[in-house]
Amino acid sequence: MSSNPYQDGRGNKDRTITKSGGGTLNVDTGTEQDKHTGEAFLIGDSMTGGYGKTGPDILHDCTIAVNKGEIAVIVGPNGAGKSTAMKATFGMLHLRAGSVRLDGQDITRLSPQARVRQGMGFVPQTSNIFTSMTVQENLEMGAFIRTDDFSDTLAQVYNLFPILKDKRHQAAGELSGGQRQQVAVGRALMTQPKVLLLDEPTAGVSPIVMDELFDRIIEVARSGISVLMVEQNARQALEIADKGYVLVQGANAHTGTGKELLADPEVRQSFLGG
Amino acid sequence: MDFLNAIVALSNFVLIPAIAYGSQLALGALGVTLIYGILRFSNFAHGDTMAFGTMVVVLVTWWFQSMGLNLGPLPTALLALPFGIIACSALVIGTDKLVYKFYREQKAKPVILVIVSMGVMFIMNGLVRFIIGPNDQRFADGERFIISARDFKQMTGLQEGLAIKTTQGLTVITALIVVALLFWFLNRTRTGKSMRAYSDNEDLALLSGINPERVVLYTWLIVAALATVAGTLYGLDKTFKPFTYFQLLLPIFASAIVGGLGSPLGAITGGFVIAFSEVTITYAWKKVLTYLLPENLAPDGLVQLLSTDYKFAVSFAILVIVLLFKPTGLFKGKSV
Repeated sequence: MSSNPYQDGRGNKDRTITKSGGGTLNVDTGTEQDKHTGEAFLIGDSMTGGYGKTGPDILHDCTIAVNKGEIAVIVGPNGAGKSTAMKATFGMLHLRAGSVRLDGQDITRLSPQARVRQGMGFVPQTSNIFTSMTVQENLEMGAFIRTDDFSDTLAQVYNLFPILKDKRHQAAGELSGGQRQQVAVGRALMTQPKVLLLDEPTAGVSPIVMDELFDRIIEVARSGISVLMVEQNARQALEIADKGYVLVQGANAHTGTGKELLADPEVRQSFLGG
Repeated sequence: MDFLNAIVALSNFVLIPAIAYGSQLALGALGVTLIYGILRFSNFAHGDTMAFGTMVVVLVTWWFQSMGLNLGPLPTALLALPFGIIACSALVIGTDKLVYKFYREQKAKPVILVIVSMGVMFIMNGLVRFIIGPNDQRFADGERFIISARDFKQMTGLQEGLAIKTTQGLTVITALIVVALLFWFLNRTRTGKSMRAYSDNEDLALLSGINPERVVLYTWLIVAALATVAGTLYGLDKTFKPFTYFQLLLPIFASAIVGGLGSPLGAITGGFVIAFSEVTITYAWKKVLTYLLPENLAPDGLVQLLSTDYKFAVSFAILVIVLLFKPTGLFKGKSV
């Protein structure tokens, strides 16, 4: 409960999305680990901050980067700040230090909505579709900011997720978990983003559906879109990842290609169960 | 013959008035439901918004009448309707900018907005009574009946007459047109879809680049139009009295809640459910039963379940029952 008497604690409403402006831009404080972020397309550089202006720091000098057309995965134990790190790159956090750059441009001060216009697509973990609207309407709403003809993009999304084409006049709330996630990803793809942020896309879906979703995500990345995702299923996610970040308590613990991390005995020991 | 007479009497006293009243309630409830779905609070000022819009229509109608302007058989009020809608839009958008916007920026709880809307209700109520006075005002003109009871009797040779007032016919036709337009707008246009998206998932709508202030503006415009049309139709059918519009709030809210708050289809269904319940329960069934039952079973009393003075008790009872047993309403709206 906040101290503002007009508000209530409607918990699941992520009000940080409405935050105007953004964090402050400070000098890069640098990190001790080598992360090879020179060619990064999207980079959240040495981010320190938490929710709200006065909230405690959740991220401590955390760096996340993704290259063009690659898949970067953030893994780590519960409460490590995985989602928080990703939301920070999307402007949903108050950064006290560090910066976010997209294609070489500093976007640290932009609001999330402005970042969507800059070419970022974000798929939240929960309530990521318009349940009362049809699949097609969901996709149309994804393209709301586009004033040009988006029928090509619509066809591409239907091509990527053929099941959605069959169900395009059905209310999105009536679909299964996996299909909902496809709608959510499809909605984000409608703006033709250059970077796609996925917050636990496979949460609550069966292993078979999960494999299929990962296949689709690889396909998205092959089409030149950078993908940054947070995953619970660390092993599978690292297998498809070009780059992996292991976060512990809001700080970078291990960084490397997916294969390197899978082979790293320390990572295996602590996060992948041996 | 008796059976036909019974049906005619039933239509004359129950079906036709209930359909007209139901259409008026449905239009009112649509406004309430839209505000609830998009601005997320129960707008207690809705009845007085209707009164304000209707008041402007009445004043403009009088002005037209004084100039000799009329629509022949149709009421002059139809000509004055656009002026009422414009004035009412100006009022609600002004109120939104002055009052509701502040609380929206504070992200105030719905319950605070409800109390705020009550304050707005008292102000609007006072404003209307200050301008036009608290008394009954007649402003219906043109042809009074589509079919009068006497014509009907002559035409059919039945004992019972069937009267359809012009205002009743007009109410149903106007309501159909308005509802069709509203559904077309909400389901087919980009702006309408963005309003539904905002109502469904505010955060995701923001992520999709939908401008909330724009959505709120369109909502108020539509609500002002709906309220003015509903109020004018009700005023034409009965008379215009500011206090009656304040009392209409109860059946309107009952309609919206029975249907499920936030569901436009529910608001329409709810309007008719409430109207039919009110009319059938307060109707004296003696005449219809006398026609239908054998002579020795004919009722002595009026067979009226409730005096018309208590008609609000019907909506109130339905409201309580729905809130107790099915808080989300018939069409799975949001619970209050």
